[in-house]
Amino acid sequence: MTDKHDTPSVQNLKLEPEDLDGHTLEELTDYLAAGRTPPNASIDASPGCQIVLDALERLHALTPQLLVEDAQAKPVDEGWVQKILAGIALDARAGRRIPIPTPLPRADLGITEGAVRGLIRGAERAVPGAVVGRCRLEGEVTQEGAPIHILIDASVAYGEPIPDVAQRLRAEIAERLSAHTRLNITEIDITVYDIQKLPTPVEDDGEDK
Amino acid sequence: MDGDRFNEALESADDRIVAGRAADGDTAAFAVLVRRYTPMMRAYTHRILSGSAEVDDVVQESFITAWQRLPELDDPGKVKSWLMRISSRKSIDRARAHRPHTDIDNIDAPAPAHNTPPQLAETQAGVAALGAALQELPDAQRACWVLRELGEYGYDEIAQELDLPTSTVRGLLARARKHILVQMEQWR
Repeated sequence: MTDKHDTPSVQNLKLEPEDLDGHTLEELTDYLAAGRTPPNASIDASPGCQIVLDALERLHALTPQLLVEDAQAKPVDEGWVQKILAGIALDARAGRRIPIPTPLPRADLGITEGAVRGLIRGAERAVPGAVVGRCRLEGEVTQEGAPIHILIDASVAYGEPIPDVAQRLRAEIAERLSAHTRLNITEIDITVYDIQKLPTPVEDDGEDK
Repeated sequence: MDGDRFNEALESADDRIVAGRAADGDTAAFAVLVRRYTPMMRAYTHRILSGSAEVDDVVQESFITAWQRLPELDDPGKVKSWLMRISSRKSIDRARAHRPHTDIDNIDAPAPAHNTPPQLAETQAGVAALGAALQELPDAQRACWVLRELGEYGYDEIAQELDLPTSTVRGLLARARKHILVQMEQWR
């Protein structure tokens, strides 16, 4: 490290209020965190404070690296991921039970809200580059015929007109739901939160045609 | 091919999408979160607990708790800091249960910096020195410093998390900062 200024020699880092013209380390930390605003003339004019502020700045530049350095130390292997997945309860998200009307006497059919969300998410397969995020079913799904409003978050591929993508997604969702449920869907709202530029291009021009 | 492309899209989708999906019960999305945040969670946990033996246990427990509680997360876009909070709590519980004591002779020496550009080598040596200074701190001081500087907790939040008065937290942080600053200036 080349330090051409009057080198604050190692043992001389003075941190007591008497070395800092009456200021404290805590005060200086807060001052730096606030971007040295509003300017404090007493701190700015104190050589002792300036030395400590410089040291604090160097420390702050280094601190986030504590997470980065460690993060590079050990790669995440697939065994680790599988171990965690093996420990989670898969039935935890069943949600409400949605009845399915049946003409059969004594039959009681139903589908879980979780399964319906799965169906809705699956619609993304029909729209390359789209990923469905959170999905909510608003309305009394447990009552037959009740109006249901569907809200989903989505991410779409870069370069495609969003209204088109949303329309394709909406149509696919409606089709899937009418094939598998008797829900009375009144609205499907799609909010695009993310536009992704994918490393693999979405369009396949050529070979497959 | 389509499957690969879809996985690629999910793998690189932003946190809000991935965490929202995981909250709805999609395990593939949860696996993406595990892959994305394991390194950060390990690093963070490692900094709170001085030893590394229990880090993986804490991180694993944190992810399992996260899976259970994801539906309660209001803004899935904030999943990263939410995960850090879960692992802070688990780490603190762990530290309380075991009271590991820090052996000052046992600090890792800074890694040798062969074949690295001088700038990078200097950063690495700086980080190693900072890590060592952190390890020398008593547990409570270290926990306060890590929660404040890496976890971005406020003083009151640290006090709540560690079950200490805010004034005590201020005192612990002041001592931790002083120690670290003096050590770092000596390293220079």
